[in-house]
Amino acid sequence: MQDDTRQGDLLVILRHAPHGSSWLKEGLDVALVAAAFDRRVTLLFMGEGITALLEGQQAGPLGQKGTAPTLAMLEMYDIDSLLVEARGMDALGLTGEQFMLPVEGVGDAEIAELLASHALVLNF
Amino acid sequence: MLLHTLNRSPLSAVLDQALAGMGPDDRLLLIEDGVIGALPAQQARFESVAGRLYALHEDLESRGLLSLCAPAVRVVDIEGFVALTEECERAVSWY
Amino acid sequence: MRYAILLLDAPYTSQAAHSALRFTRALLAKGHAVDGVFFYHDGVHNAARLAAPPQDEPHLVDAWAELGREHAVPLQVCIAAALRRGLLDEQEAARHGKQGASVEPPFELTGLGQLVDLGLRCDRLITFGP
Repeated sequence: MQDDTRQGDLLVILRHAPHGSSWLKEGLDVALVAAAFDRRVTLLFMGEGITALLEGQQAGPLGQKGTAPTLAMLEMYDIDSLLVEARGMDALGLTGEQFMLPVEGVGDAEIAELLASHALVLNF
Repeated sequence: MLLHTLNRSPLSAVLDQALAGMGPDDRLLLIEDGVIGALPAQQARFESVAGRLYALHEDLESRGLLSLCAPAVRVVDIEGFVALTEECERAVSWY
Repeated sequence: MRYAILLLDAPYTSQAAHSALRFTRALLAKGHAVDGVFFYHDGVHNAARLAAPPQDEPHLVDAWAELGREHAVPLQVCIAAALRRGLLDEQEAARHGKQGASVEPPFELTGLGQLVDLGLRCDRLITFGP
């Protein structure tokens, strides 16, 4: 954990899937706003939230936007520290090649260190 | 040292997420439905946080769980909750 | 110490609003400063001016407003989350051509930047979710 990108201001944990609820969208909104205010933001995808990274997402019925377009914009906001709970990936049988963005898997010990090394942790 | 609060019962997968996020000295406070985790039969789920497990008195009491609470669980009232947030550097909520 | 509270669920839906209110009162009783209560996600419903719970239940909206007034605690409601859910103050109601406001002072509509600012400025941010 010597990597400086892991010592950011804000850690946003995303634990909900796209479309099914607004948790993911509203969590990402906080990350974007913080980044727009020049805060260093780390995103950690856990559990069902990992499915937010899947390729091939589309708008839902009635034009429900989903969150894939927001994820595609993260780079513009200089949010490039994208971490994924390794245990959650295993549980869902997903691999990094299925994701729309490059991510780094993290184990439980690293997750605990991430929480300890960010000034603010927001859990969605 | 961080304070983690959990408001879901130990039958929920959210407990595993909370445990994954806990460092070796962090404390876990059970509130709301989380206090179901204070039952003796659930203590095996909290083995990794033995001695660092707390439950909110008011939420145990309102649910009829106060007298059923496992002896290893430290019961705190709302002032104790405040004190835990003072002692710990930061708080993380799992829900 | 300086505290901020983040409340993420509606009153009468889960216990989150009760817990947050009790905790905030305990903070103030102990002499801590509360720099703000931020209402986000379904927590914005705590600012619903027209809430009319039965008389034998605690009136959570009024309780927040009273706490805000008596202790000068800012009650900050995320504007984007609020507008989507039909919670508008007078200014936003006029802007959107709606009759009547559903949010009134001491609740104030504000941007998400306030949440990040509160969280980083205060010694502690305590979140209450559903």
